[in-house]
Amino acid sequence: MLIEFLLGITLASALLVFMAPDRIAGKLAALLSLLPLGTAGVMWLGFDASGNALRGGEIAFESRFEWFDLGSYALQWHVGVDGVSFPLVALTTVLTTLAIVSSWTPIDERQSQFYGLMLIVEVALLGVFVGLDFFLWFVFWEAVLIPMYFLIAIWGGPRREYAAMKFIIYTNLASLLMFVGVFLLVFGLGDSLTTLSLVDISAGIQNGQLGELAGFDPAVIEVAAFVLLFLGFAVKVPVVPFHTWLPDAHVEAPSPVSVILAGVLLKMGTYALLRFNFTMLNDVLDAGWNAEILMSIGLVSVIYGAMLALAQRDLKRIVAYSSISSMGYVIIGLTALTPHGMGGATFQMVSHGLISGLMFMGVGVFYNATHTRMVGDMSGLADRMPWTAGIFVAGAFGYMGLPLMSGFAGEVLVFIGSFNTATVDGAPIFTALAMFGIVIVAGYLLWAMQRSLFGPFELETDYEIGRAPLHDLASLAVLLGLVILLGVNPDLIYGAIQDAVQPIVQSGVAGDAASAFLGGGH
Amino acid sequence: MVDVFNLAPAIALFPLFAFVIALFLGSRMPKGGALAGIAATGGSLVLSLWMVAELAGGNGPYQEELYTFIGGVEGEGVTLSFGLLIDPLSALMLVIVSLISFLVHVFSLGYMNDESETGLPRYYAGLGLFTFSMLAFVYSDNLLMAFMFFELVGLCSYLLIGFWFRERAPASAAKKAFLVTRFGDYFFLIGVVAIFATFGTTAFAGDESFVTAAEAVLDGEGEMNTFLGLGNQAWITVLGLLVLGGVIGKSAQFPLHTWLPDAMEGPTPVSALIHAATMVAAGVYLVARIYGFYALSPTALGIIALIGGFTAFVAATMALVKQELKQVLAYSTISQYGYMMLALGGGGYVAGVFHLTTHAVFKALLFLGAGSVIIAMHHNENMWDMGGLKSRMPVTYWTFLAGSLALAGIFPFAGFWSKDEVLYETLIHGLGDSPLLLVGFAFGLLAVVLTALYTIRMVLLTFHGDPRTDVAEDPEPVRWNVKFPLVVLGVLAVVAGALNLGTIKEVIGEENLFLHEWLDGATLSGDLGEEGALSVHHYEEVLEVHAGYGAAEFPALANGAIALVLALVGVAAAWYLYRGAEPAPHMEKLGGVRQVLVHNYYQDEYQVWLATGLTYPIARVANMFDQGVIDGLVDAVGTASVVAGERFRKIQTGVVTNYAALLALGLVLLILVFGLAGGWF
Repeated sequence: MLIEFLLGITLASALLVFMAPDRIAGKLAALLSLLPLGTAGVMWLGFDASGNALRGGEIAFESRFEWFDLGSYALQWHVGVDGVSFPLVALTTVLTTLAIVSSWTPIDERQSQFYGLMLIVEVALLGVFVGLDFFLWFVFWEAVLIPMYFLIAIWGGPRREYAAMKFIIYTNLASLLMFVGVFLLVFGLGDSLTTLSLVDISAGIQNGQLGELAGFDPAVIEVAAFVLLFLGFAVKVPVVPFHTWLPDAHVEAPSPVSVILAGVLLKMGTYALLRFNFTMLNDVLDAGWNAEILMSIGLVSVIYGAMLALAQRDLKRIVAYSSISSMGYVIIGLTALTPHGMGGATFQMVSHGLISGLMFMGVGVFYNATHTRMVGDMSGLADRMPWTAGIFVAGAFGYMGLPLMSGFAGEVLVFIGSFNTATVDGAPIFTALAMFGIVIVAGYLLWAMQRSLFGPFELETDYEIGRAPLHDLASLAVLLGLVILLGVNPDLIYGAIQDAVQPIVQSGVAGDAASAFLGGGH
Repeated sequence: MVDVFNLAPAIALFPLFAFVIALFLGSRMPKGGALAGIAATGGSLVLSLWMVAELAGGNGPYQEELYTFIGGVEGEGVTLSFGLLIDPLSALMLVIVSLISFLVHVFSLGYMNDESETGLPRYYAGLGLFTFSMLAFVYSDNLLMAFMFFELVGLCSYLLIGFWFRERAPASAAKKAFLVTRFGDYFFLIGVVAIFATFGTTAFAGDESFVTAAEAVLDGEGEMNTFLGLGNQAWITVLGLLVLGGVIGKSAQFPLHTWLPDAMEGPTPVSALIHAATMVAAGVYLVARIYGFYALSPTALGIIALIGGFTAFVAATMALVKQELKQVLAYSTISQYGYMMLALGGGGYVAGVFHLTTHAVFKALLFLGAGSVIIAMHHNENMWDMGGLKSRMPVTYWTFLAGSLALAGIFPFAGFWSKDEVLYETLIHGLGDSPLLLVGFAFGLLAVVLTALYTIRMVLLTFHGDPRTDVAEDPEPVRWNVKFPLVVLGVLAVVAGALNLGTIKEVIGEENLFLHEWLDGATLSGDLGEEGALSVHHYEEVLEVHAGYGAAEFPALANGAIALVLALVGVAAAWYLYRGAEPAPHMEKLGGVRQVLVHNYYQDEYQVWLATGLTYPIARVANMFDQGVIDGLVDAVGTASVVAGERFRKIQTGVVTNYAALLALGLVLLILVFGLAGGWF
């Protein structure tokens, strides 16, 4: 019942903060957010999952009971975590607390509502990662959007209404496609399916119970569902060319909201891709050029996203576009369908959550002091804000995939996993090309830092530029610490991740590729 | 008795502690954390020497797994781990790195502390992290670990080159150094991943190592995965060349050498460290480390030799016309590492390592000597503003002279012996079965003349003649902390050649070539895997069998005489041109040629153009496409549904409950769909 407790305590905290006076809302929210964080910590200690939530094996803190009947389907309250979802749960609780703390400085109006909504977002995000029944999961999935919409539209920058509207319409349309995709599967499974449990849907497809639908062959249904689901999730990730809502949303959102947006919200997309497309429907990859097409999509996201980042002047846009690039690696890792490919992709989700959170938070701290984010408007900030600059530089190197920081582990695992996957023709070429992202990312981050942080101090402003407040520095330092911790000891979560992805790859052609590789050390 | 090898991890960990101490406590410590660094590198030096003594006593080599970085799956799968490998090569390099780093720390007391620089804790923290990364790189027992610390070495040089970040030039130089070497590391990383995919391991030594596995495959005793339809031999060459990308970047070989001269923006002691023992040395060391792998591929070896010989020559021409003391040294570094590459590519494993060793000594000496001059000259580095410093700073002069003669390859200084051996090894293998090496050899010979010329020019302009400015007339004195490292290195620059007197091996006998004997490790008790897989005789065997490197007979003495005569020609030319009280700027007579050399063959220009004239505009076009076409489409679709948008906008001013209602509505729709589908109604 720990998961129910986690969701409940977070929801209760949110309600409490809504009712609190503005004066104390920020501190109260931070304090209360320690409850889910602590709960996640307790779950960490008691975590004993060794399987995959959809493919069988032990999962942790599972609870499942009939909720109510909907037509011929029994809806269930089914929650639980495995090695894929639990790291994301922990990431969510950590980032929410830190984002709340980093809101203390910039957020000065309607505070109780702001912090309340932040906690509501947290509930919904946690729900997405723990929910294992489609109905339940979909409720949480959609529930994320509404508080997020407000957070951007009320507390955002000058074009906040446009950005918020674009965000909600775009992602809602995507949800619609995804919804249709799931329906194809549900109806295709027909009477064999009596619940909307993701586990049952997955098992039904695995057992070949997918029947004809409206005269279409099951294989066609499967591909159609794959495409619809992929489109639905690709917007969230986002994958090129469905990415244009992201820079706008980031630029207009207050920095702490960007932290959640980039850190956790994007992972909803990659998480769902992993659960639906690459767990339930990964047979689709064997057919035709499907895997090569997906690999190309990942490759384009990596390179194109990085090139776009290179052209930006706004620090937030730079980090936003580089998120697109980083998520491309996740697509590549998932498509490889090897233990290290999928494991690396999952690791990369967590790692990117921490690092992009760190970067957006850092940009926010600079912005609080300088009121600009334009690279050309400032120079030599490191002179006035040495520690913030120092941590930001370290974070940027993390983003560049510097060894002993988490980004390197995620990326190198993806590369190792995808280099010789049997799923994709020409995998070494795809991998080698995608790796060029590590050069471009160094280019734009080093360039941006050189221009804004180094050189003689110059900034036209009426503000006094001084050192950042201690709580901001502490938040940054905690994130940097986690990035280094996971970089030095990836096995802290990677073992659990492997337990969860092994059952996925141990079937079909993908499994053969995996075993060929694992036994590769002649 | 304690097994000393158990202490080996501490060699790198000491400087890591110094990094942490200097970073967090440095501002509260005397000397800004310098003492922690001195103690740490001193400790590393002692331990490294102990390792050498242990190996000399016949124990080892020693390999130990330290830490599993990614264990992955129980019982199977690729494990990524950290381990250490102490063999004659790594032990020698550990001594070099810790010695140079120790002396650089001491020297920094004079160069940084006495000059009242600010930010000292950051400086000493950087030095500590730098030394840690390099030492860990050196004792890595697998390629992935080596790559990781290779990259960290790059980070540290970024931090130290950009130490004076409040000025524009250092920040720019730091960026360039990291970016250019990152470009090389890109290929290296592909190589690491590909080696994992090919052999399932990246271990350097032992029966399970990829080096042994590759050799076995080519001997027809095993199999491996190859990719892209390539055969075994071709794929091994591809792997070697991929890793070589990182080497070319870090060791500043053509065409990725452009970062190094800019890196002079860092504090001079840092330059000494980068050039002699850490960053630049890392590349060549890596080739030596996996020499057994390169020896399998004649193509890779040939490319290494040609790049090396060409770089040695081209960099020497550029050094001829430089006006700033450190710039001359920078190009000489590029050139000298070219020699090491030439040696390794030319089948001279011992020669390459030998030159790496002597170069570490005399280049550190020259940079620290230059640092001493720069202190004296109040940070003016232009040689044309100097002159006459000989009598005013004798310790610096005599030690600097020793380093210069070593660099110029004058008998009996250290550089003479090692450079001669480089040329000799290339020559005999070139005369043997690999005539292509003779091209590299010719470049190497030409570079000998040029090296002597620019080196002696530098000495004459800096120290001889009349002082050309007031500062040179009355230079600032330097203290013991500057002189002590100079004297230590000065002595070594004279005597280090005795390690391997290859030129006179016909006289003293092959068994008295200490470095050769040392690297051969014939006396060692344990061995890793196949009999002596890391030894010189094994490498020679592999070279002959797989690369077809047969050695021709050629008298070593004759080669030494040729090299020495050529060097003396260079010295004489320099003496003729720049002697006397007021030397004239003779290089200006070169006219257009000089312009090309001053601009370094426009290498910088085209690389900057690649970044800002090509890549950046492409990025801008991509951005316009993204904003205009992709986002334009999205917005167009949005405008089409403008009614909905307007309605949304109206509700937006409403209260929260409206949105809750919206969410509820969505749920109702969802339930309806299921209800209808399930025949609920």
